[in-house]
Amino acid sequence: MSFPHLHVASAYSTHYGVTLPEALAEQTAAQQSAAQAAAPSSSFLAVTDRDGLYGAVKHVRACAQAGIRPGLGADLAVHDDDLYPLGRVVVLAHGHTDGRGYAALCRAVSSAHAGSVHAGSAHGSAAFPSIARSRLAELAGLDSLTVLIGPASDVGLAIGLRDNDGARTRLAAWQRAMPPQSVACEVVCHLSEPGTPGSVTPATRMLALAEYAALPAVLTNAVRYGTPEEAVTADLADAARTLTPLARLDQPQTNGQAWLKPESGMRQVARMVVDAGLHDDDALERLFRDTWRLADQCSLDPDSDIGLGRPRMPEARIIGISGDPFAELWKRARAGVDDRYAGTALGEAAHARLAHEMKTVEHLGFAGYFLTVARVADIVREMGVRIQARGSGVGSVLNYALHTSSVEPIANGLLWERFLSPERQTLPDIDLDVESARRHDIYRTLFDTFGSDRVSLMSMTNAYRGRGAVRDAGLALGMDRDQVAAVAKQIWRFNARDLRRALEEKPELGPLAAEVRGSAQLDLLVDLTAKLDRLPRHISVHPCGVILSDLSLLDRTPVQTSGMGLPMSQFDKHDMDPMGLIKLDILGVRMQSAMAHAVEEHRRLSGESIDLDRIPLDDPATFELIRSTRTLGIFQIESPGQMELVGKLQPEVFNDLTVEISLFRPGPMQNNMPLKYLQARHGEVMPDYIHPRFEPILRETRGVVIFHEQVMRLFDELTGCGLGKADVFRRHLGKPDQLPRIEAYLREAALERGFDTPTIDRIWQVLAGFGSFGFAKAHGAAFALPTYQSAWLKTHHPAVFLAGLLTHAPGMWPKDLIVAEARLLGVPVLGLDVQRSTLIYRVEDLEHERRGIRLPLPELSGSTAAERGRIVRHQPFTSLQDFRDRVRPRRSTFEALARVGALDSFIGYDRTRRHELLAHIQSLRGTAVSIADDQLAFEVELPVLEYAGARFDAVTSLELRGRSQTDLELRDLALAVSGHQMARFYPLFSELGVTPASELINLPGGTEVLLAGVRRATNTPPMRGGRRVVFVSLDDGTGPVSNVVFFHDAQERIGGPVFHAGLMLVRGRTRRSGTKGVSVTGENLWDLTEVARTVRTRHAAEAAAQRVDRASELAAELAALSATNVHHLWPRLRA
Amino acid sequence: MPQIIDTPVDVELSADGDPRAFIWNRFEHTIIGQPQAVFTRTSWWENARTPARIDTELWRVDASRGDEEQHRYDLRRDVDGSWVLALDWG
Repeated sequence: MSFPHLHVASAYSTHYGVTLPEALAEQTAAQQSAAQAAAPSSSFLAVTDRDGLYGAVKHVRACAQAGIRPGLGADLAVHDDDLYPLGRVVVLAHGHTDGRGYAALCRAVSSAHAGSVHAGSAHGSAAFPSIARSRLAELAGLDSLTVLIGPASDVGLAIGLRDNDGARTRLAAWQRAMPPQSVACEVVCHLSEPGTPGSVTPATRMLALAEYAALPAVLTNAVRYGTPEEAVTADLADAARTLTPLARLDQPQTNGQAWLKPESGMRQVARMVVDAGLHDDDALERLFRDTWRLADQCSLDPDSDIGLGRPRMPEARIIGISGDPFAELWKRARAGVDDRYAGTALGEAAHARLAHEMKTVEHLGFAGYFLTVARVADIVREMGVRIQARGSGVGSVLNYALHTSSVEPIANGLLWERFLSPERQTLPDIDLDVESARRHDIYRTLFDTFGSDRVSLMSMTNAYRGRGAVRDAGLALGMDRDQVAAVAKQIWRFNARDLRRALEEKPELGPLAAEVRGSAQLDLLVDLTAKLDRLPRHISVHPCGVILSDLSLLDRTPVQTSGMGLPMSQFDKHDMDPMGLIKLDILGVRMQSAMAHAVEEHRRLSGESIDLDRIPLDDPATFELIRSTRTLGIFQIESPGQMELVGKLQPEVFNDLTVEISLFRPGPMQNNMPLKYLQARHGEVMPDYIHPRFEPILRETRGVVIFHEQVMRLFDELTGCGLGKADVFRRHLGKPDQLPRIEAYLREAALERGFDTPTIDRIWQVLAGFGSFGFAKAHGAAFALPTYQSAWLKTHHPAVFLAGLLTHAPGMWPKDLIVAEARLLGVPVLGLDVQRSTLIYRVEDLEHERRGIRLPLPELSGSTAAERGRIVRHQPFTSLQDFRDRVRPRRSTFEALARVGALDSFIGYDRTRRHELLAHIQSLRGTAVSIADDQLAFEVELPVLEYAGARFDAVTSLELRGRSQTDLELRDLALAVSGHQMARFYPLFSELGVTPASELINLPGGTEVLLAGVRRATNTPPMRGGRRVVFVSLDDGTGPVSNVVFFHDAQERIGGPVFHAGLMLVRGRTRRSGTKGVSVTGENLWDLTEVARTVRTRHAAEAAAQRVDRASELAAELAALSATNVHHLWPRLRA
Repeated sequence: MPQIIDTPVDVELSADGDPRAFIWNRFEHTIIGQPQAVFTRTSWWENARTPARIDTELWRVDASRGDEEQHRYDLRRDVDGSWVLALDWG
């Protein structure tokens, strides 16, 4: 029989509990079914995570699944009115109180996080969540909560010190402070050795204390794991939490007994506890009776107590409406359609579609939801921030009419049912992409507008992945930090639990595998790493989730302060739908910021405003640029794999971009869809529509099924089931056990609708093979819009566009490469200049109608924000003196600015005099004169211009000797703007016969080439066949990156350097992909710096050999000459 | 001083799962009163393998052979379920 555990930490008590709620619930259910007599519904399990309800929703759902009653609580620290700590207690919510108990629990947890207490300790002070006892007492009123006073409470700690009087006094204080019937004593015994915490003695004393105080005593096991085998993992958690190796832990677990024991095990413990002290005869039975009684009291009803599955929208007045939300939505939507479709042929269709959509909205009662999202979109737009909807919501005319989305759904063939239908059980999801740089502003505005009792950020649970798991396991074992780091570095793109297998399979891990075989400790490390993998590690604010609800929000979710200072729910995205919480994904997209930056720079320079949402979507020049594969910097299509696909596909219209983006996904790639589509597109094969009735559905993709929408339409055409039902079928295609049922239904209905069996066989094969892969066309179209917009900017306004890219770094490529691209596009990147550089990449008008991009101040390594702020505030400067007085730069900053040329304006931009300037700055003594911001500077020329004459020949700075501008930039800017960092290797390249990247395009396929350059990116894209393929993008400064593909055999031959070499020389063969595409299949790879060294050594050896040859030649000459006169030969020898 | 025995024994369990008697040297030793279990932890990280358990299960029992004077014993239960009579405390 199962035991009603009231104190259980799940794995969501990070670095403490180690078993997931689902496993705990299943274990309880299994213990229940192993017992015979009891009815199944009597089982009970509470989860009481530390400092929160992190695992609460998962627990309640798992209990429902397992058929047991859930309880919820939290293990919280408490302090008194003088902030004196009272230890930790378990706070349990009472059930069947119409949610009063659960609400009080949520508020208690939030309160603990709001009232963090600073505790001094030997290691300094740390803030931790703690609730005031008076606040807890307030919340526990009206029979809402029970507080368990256990071993970790002040009472329990006094018992541990054998201070019985102290324990009685403290318990009395609890009884005085708390409402009646809200306190119980918690008896915990882990059967540890006498004299240690968790032994029978303190447990039996706690029981006696409860009897003395006439309080109920309940038995718990203070559970940290489901099974005894998981105690090892809890040891690791302790080490990770305290950042201390296991061997040096202050308070390791006394033993491994804190597991979810069955009733028999708990009875055994209870017998020993009762036997160890002097108790009444029925003490044992009473302990069990009181435990069950409290469990019954704390059983929560998922519906009436937690409100599971009941959506709650913000109140009408909050979203600015007074009447019926549905009527209001109709009014706005009709007006929106009239406005959006004015002057198009689609007006009538749009109204019809709107009526269809509104029927579903009415049926589901989601009018408030749509108005809320539209209100948020309005708020964002009113802030002047770029916004774009993404996701299946883009398929809705309603969203388009409300201006929530900016992609027109009908002409793009998008479906409402992919987003919402009566058959869909989950809350709808509309994602809004906004400028990343403004995301926090938007959040704050939403909190201000809706009120922080209705809005909260969503959290996300970060789980252990390979590297973190290795590090923490290594820490626990007390291993050498460098050794652990070396192992962690090699864990790349696979899960820690697969480490053992990866060691056997992956060629680049060969050396590590050998080490592991030779070291017991490393072997143990591999074991422990696997134990930590996937365990929740910490929670943090979700990158885009915002929860919008009504005034009851804080009764349903506990909140804590996020890193950005705004309240964050303890629930993650999986908890939203069950909790009926409306979540909006407001995602910061850097490309939106980059484009906004470009538009703003263009407006600043020319006064002309570009409205990106109104540019024509059929600009020939833009498509020409895309087809050229010079897509670096363009949204979504700038990766090496995408460049290749764009080259093959040769997009001509907007829809081609949607198709291209949708094809470049794991599912389609693995199913070879790109090839099938390309063959049909370029006329190599006839499109195969299978049946004429499918042609309208499949025409846009030449017979290849790519989009979810197509699968839905096919289902509908075949069976007449309607698009809503069709979407349900589509989602079930991914579940193999559902396939026979779907197939039977489809065959029967299709035959009835006039399809013949061969057709049905073939289309079923396509649909079943499609699985859950593919892409919603709504997503593809929503992505294609910024793709097109960024391509348009790059085509027509390259300078401002690149400045946007450099400022907001939206893509995968490093700045060096964008700078190189600018150089190739004829946009000069201008050096740092204290007279002109600002905090962001600004564009400057140059002669001949050209524009250049000015490097901003933050690129200077080591300068402070305050220094940069003063430079910008006081620009321009009349003299070096003026600069020094107003900016007051630190010496290091001052010298760095001089070295890179940012102070060249003070020497008339005469670069040759920079060493004099630097020498002068280095010779400056005394502090700068401080000049108030509102004061004029001294107009004194610095004596730097008067350095002249023989006396000053010696005044120079050796720091600049032998260094090129590129060297200096790499030193102080970490970014070379005047030249390319590979330029110094060019003589070597020409000697070795390296092919410049810019020339690759002119070579036929299969040509053997040598390539060299600096690694700019490494990709392991999804591939057909499942074997890993590594793409390395090399930049040699001559043109676009060259992409080298390493297949499995090459990876084995090369090993680690495939991933680790920075500068490299590669031998391979060209591989053509269409007219514009070329890549190289890599066969071997060498570290370029080593190659350079070898060549240098060889040169030296050859030169030496030449000298030897020459010396022997001369010796021979000498021998031939008369021995009397050899002196005339010296000059020749020396030469 | 306790005497180290360290020999495998057969243990009879009660319906509750507590040891009720053990057979040592062919003689049955009957356990008197409530036996107490103690779990002591190990420093498993010093060994080469990850253990299934991090603690050792010991039962401290009072038992007597027939009518002889009762002794206090430590019984150890290993992970595989087998019992070892570890100590005789006298």
